[in-house]
Amino acid sequence: MSEKLITEEKRVFMTGNEVVAWAAVAAGAEIMYGYPITPQNEIMHYWTRLAPKYNRKFLQTEDELSAGFTTVGGVMAGRKAFTATAGPGNTLMQEPMSMAEAMRLPTVTIVQQRGGPSTATVIYSQQEVTMTTFGGNGEGLRIVYSTANHQELFDYTIKAFNVAWKYRFPTFVLGDGYQAKMRESLTVYDPEQKGIEFVPAEPYVGKPGTPGVDREPGHYRNTYNVEEELYEVLQGYFKDYAKMAEEVAEYQAFDTEDADVVVLSHGVVSRGAKEAVEQLRKEGKKVGYFRPITLRPLPEKELKELAGKAKKFLIVESAQGQFAKLIKDVIYGASVEIVPFFKPGVGITTDEIVGKVNEIL
Amino acid sequence: MDLARQNRKVNLVDLDIVEPCYTLRPIKKQLAEQNINVIAWETKETVGLGEAGNIIKPAARWALLNEGDVILDIGYGVEGSKTLNLLEGVDKEPNLRIYAVVNISRPMTSTVDEIVEYLKQLGNIHGIINNTHLGDETTPEIVQNGAKVVAEAAEVLQVPVIATTAERSVAEAIGKQDCMGNMVRPLDRFMPCTLW
Repeated sequence: MSEKLITEEKRVFMTGNEVVAWAAVAAGAEIMYGYPITPQNEIMHYWTRLAPKYNRKFLQTEDELSAGFTTVGGVMAGRKAFTATAGPGNTLMQEPMSMAEAMRLPTVTIVQQRGGPSTATVIYSQQEVTMTTFGGNGEGLRIVYSTANHQELFDYTIKAFNVAWKYRFPTFVLGDGYQAKMRESLTVYDPEQKGIEFVPAEPYVGKPGTPGVDREPGHYRNTYNVEEELYEVLQGYFKDYAKMAEEVAEYQAFDTEDADVVVLSHGVVSRGAKEAVEQLRKEGKKVGYFRPITLRPLPEKELKELAGKAKKFLIVESAQGQFAKLIKDVIYGASVEIVPFFKPGVGITTDEIVGKVNEIL
Repeated sequence: MDLARQNRKVNLVDLDIVEPCYTLRPIKKQLAEQNINVIAWETKETVGLGEAGNIIKPAARWALLNEGDVILDIGYGVEGSKTLNLLEGVDKEPNLRIYAVVNISRPMTSTVDEIVEYLKQLGNIHGIINNTHLGDETTPEIVQNGAKVVAEAAEVLQVPVIATTAERSVAEAIGKQDCMGNMVRPLDRFMPCTLW
């Protein structure tokens, strides 16, 4: 490996896509497989600029199916491999990522959400939540971080590689076109200088020695002969996932203790939600803020607890209830009233959230 | 805008056609009201962000034939600079000047070596504008630091520094000249209004 990309902590001004490429280099990613689609294109563009300088690799494939499967292949060969996509590309990506779920492969996928269904719009939405969290067939298990700003894009892209390789679940960083294209300042750093230890990658296939004699054989399967065999394997996966979930689930919350209304949001919308809650609190209104950072696994314990205390949950998202569906599933049976504030495919401002809270308080 | 205030004929041409996210389009009317002829598509006239190709506005292709000052806004770095080749008469225009706008807070152009390497890829340029900033966090020190680094890169490349630019309040704090003796041009920020 060549010299380091980031040698000292510094404030910089970048687009979100540029941030992801830098974070991937800083995280020790070795290869990106990709196929262009707006609004994630510059991740590839910046990665291909940086890759030759830091002895990393890039392969442009013929479509997202191929980008996903080559990422799977790269991981099986023991490489820290990643891909990035959006919209209809994310639809295609679900097939290979489902295979990664079956084989417990630590792939990392960056999704910059755009409008849908289909090609729709090229910049912004939060309409890829359902697909990114539960897009695989069968009982696929994965980790999904939803970022809100450039600092988080940097932090969680680095984290995604470590979490993926530690727990061996495909991991996603869910951004959107606003974050992808917007420019803002952030602090970049060398993760190792911050005490972040890289979880080493190792090959799944082609290990030395004879399987069953010198080492345990590796069974990385996405096909089973009988239903019972699959059932048994999945039980092990569910157990691992439940154990991992407690360690991985993340959220941010404030002013929820005495709140009558808690504003729930995720990703870039939570920036407006945060400001709205801060503003309303200054006016003496009993409003709280809760934002899951991991959309899968969700911080279930905290959400259930909150649903038992607050009178109303205002769920705010740039989609027609995809995030709300995740929340409702977790808090099923709680007495809290759910108030939706859905604007599929368009941004939501602080003022709009303040207005809505005042309407329902 | 300075030129327009001097009652000169100013044509501002949107050649930022590779996936433009921040564009002149949303502020076209606002600029037109300030006596600037903006040659750019309306957002509603376009489809997508140019991911499947972009059609150059015919008026932009022939922009150099306009009377008065013609300012070409070209984005997207090295790849974007190739857009210039689409202009009619670009190889015959003796007054054409290409200025590279550099922000040392952008990691690809944060050191003298990086700026030199990057600008060499752009091809022939006639000068550099120091536009170092950190958005809302910009201070005079950040801009001045940029002025020093840009001046050094300009010396290596043997091109002049045309000016330092900064948001108006920061520019006022710096004064009429930066620490390297370059003219400081105050900027009124339209960027927050220019998203797609």
